[in-house]
Amino acid sequence: MSDIGINDAHGAESGRPALRRIDGELILWWTLPAVAIIWASAFVLFPGFTPPMSPTMSAEQVASFYRDPHNLSRIRASMILFNWFCVGLIPVLILIVMQIRRMAHRTPIFSYCMLGCVAGGPTLFLTANICWLLAGFRPERSPELTQMFNDLAWITFTSQVPFLIAQSVILALAIYVDDQPRPVFPRWVAHFNLLVAAALVPAAFVALSLSGPLAWDGALSFWLKNIAIAVWIVVMGAVLGQAIRRERADYRQRVEQDVPV
Amino acid sequence: MSAAATHTVTPLTRPGGSPFHRIGWHCRHNPKRELWLAWWTTVVFYQLFFVVFFVITRTQPPPNPGWDTPRVVQWFHNHHNGLLIGFAIMFVITGMTAASNALIAYSMRRMSVSPAFGYSYLVLYSLSAVPGMLLLCLVLTVGALRPDRDPELIQWLYDFAFLSFSGTMGVFLIGSLVWMAAILIDKHGVLPKWFGYLNLCNALTEVVVAPAWIFHRGVFAWNGLICWWINMVVFGIYTGAFIVLLRQMIQREDFGTGPLPDLATTKELDRSGDAAVAR
Repeated sequence: MSDIGINDAHGAESGRPALRRIDGELILWWTLPAVAIIWASAFVLFPGFTPPMSPTMSAEQVASFYRDPHNLSRIRASMILFNWFCVGLIPVLILIVMQIRRMAHRTPIFSYCMLGCVAGGPTLFLTANICWLLAGFRPERSPELTQMFNDLAWITFTSQVPFLIAQSVILALAIYVDDQPRPVFPRWVAHFNLLVAAALVPAAFVALSLSGPLAWDGALSFWLKNIAIAVWIVVMGAVLGQAIRRERADYRQRVEQDVPV
Repeated sequence: MSAAATHTVTPLTRPGGSPFHRIGWHCRHNPKRELWLAWWTTVVFYQLFFVVFFVITRTQPPPNPGWDTPRVVQWFHNHHNGLLIGFAIMFVITGMTAASNALIAYSMRRMSVSPAFGYSYLVLYSLSAVPGMLLLCLVLTVGALRPDRDPELIQWLYDFAFLSFSGTMGVFLIGSLVWMAAILIDKHGVLPKWFGYLNLCNALTEVVVAPAWIFHRGVFAWNGLICWWINMVVFGIYTGAFIVLLRQMIQREDFGTGPLPDLATTKELDRSGDAAVAR
């Protein structure tokens, strides 16, 4: 957290705010398309998502879903991919933290809030991921146990949206109070983030119903939530890319101005 | 921080006397005391980690995933006290990993790269202790808590514990790659480039461990030659290397914003009583 200190000290010497180090940020940004492609392929590969498994399946049906050898290899392959790369978006989210840091705020509160949320989503998804993989590890076990792990996985996967909601709300608030002629992110990004946060809310109530739109295979808890997350990643990726490129252009300009002095 | 921030011009004279006296002096006056505190915490944590996992609980090297249910129940029975006491120790000391992660994140802050790298690493490794280690400790503690539990449930806990430990791969994979990228881009020479590539080796061990989720016996099982022994050797070399390299980094640290001076220069400055270190 010492970036402020170092930059301020440096800035005091040259009489103007010092430039933040930006080396390597484009490399981190370019990991986004790679991670997005891996996520999309793992999502399609998992037989439980295409179509989503129904919560009304009996223990026997769930056990035979995992015992089917064709399903089993796809369950393992897709969940191992997710296990490797579910944290892959963290560096990109940190880039958003870096952009919040540039906003016209009096304190780093918003960027620290964002930093605190970044790990939440992947940790909770990883918990669901481990439960799916465990259900697939010994499918010959008692069906009740397989069903329990399947439930744990689905409920964790679907209901655990708290940090995703917080992330979008924090980002929206940060953008609203970014009062400067050329804000870091345009105003519509804030509205968009609030909309995404609202779309994630119904999923938290997934356990109230085993069928209908709230159930974990329903229109609200599965389709709306996951489509909202996918759209958020694509839109934020594009907006973030623009912001980083603009910052780099400004950076080069200021370095060139500094050279003759 | 205050010691490091004040611009002392008078050279620091190191005291002689008893070891306790010298340690006390360093705790009060050494300008790098925060870094050394983090480094020593890292060293002590890995020692304790080794003792708890290899000696007290005997969970490393891991037991066999191919065992039948009675054998697993027997294993819990044989290790009852070790598991409960050993993991209680882990519950006390796991917070020490924060110091280790902080020091590694600091190494990236000292590089010429964006702070995004240090923050990413800090966040990734802060979350890694939960699925990568604490879940095993919790689940095995619950398993040992009631030896008369339904054996089939005990075997579920057994699978859960060892698979979450070996099978949490992504955090370490991505974390190592972030550190690698930072080292390779860095222009301040904070860590040698070969160590960047050693990070890649560590990342690859997280890739080859994936079959542990599939195989119950053989080299790919969670106690197998590939998924455990090779991984442990690479992890051991990697950990040893970064502990030594971080120590050198602290010795070389000049609290500046440019390239880190090399070890010989720093020692010379130290000997001539230059105040550069005290800045």
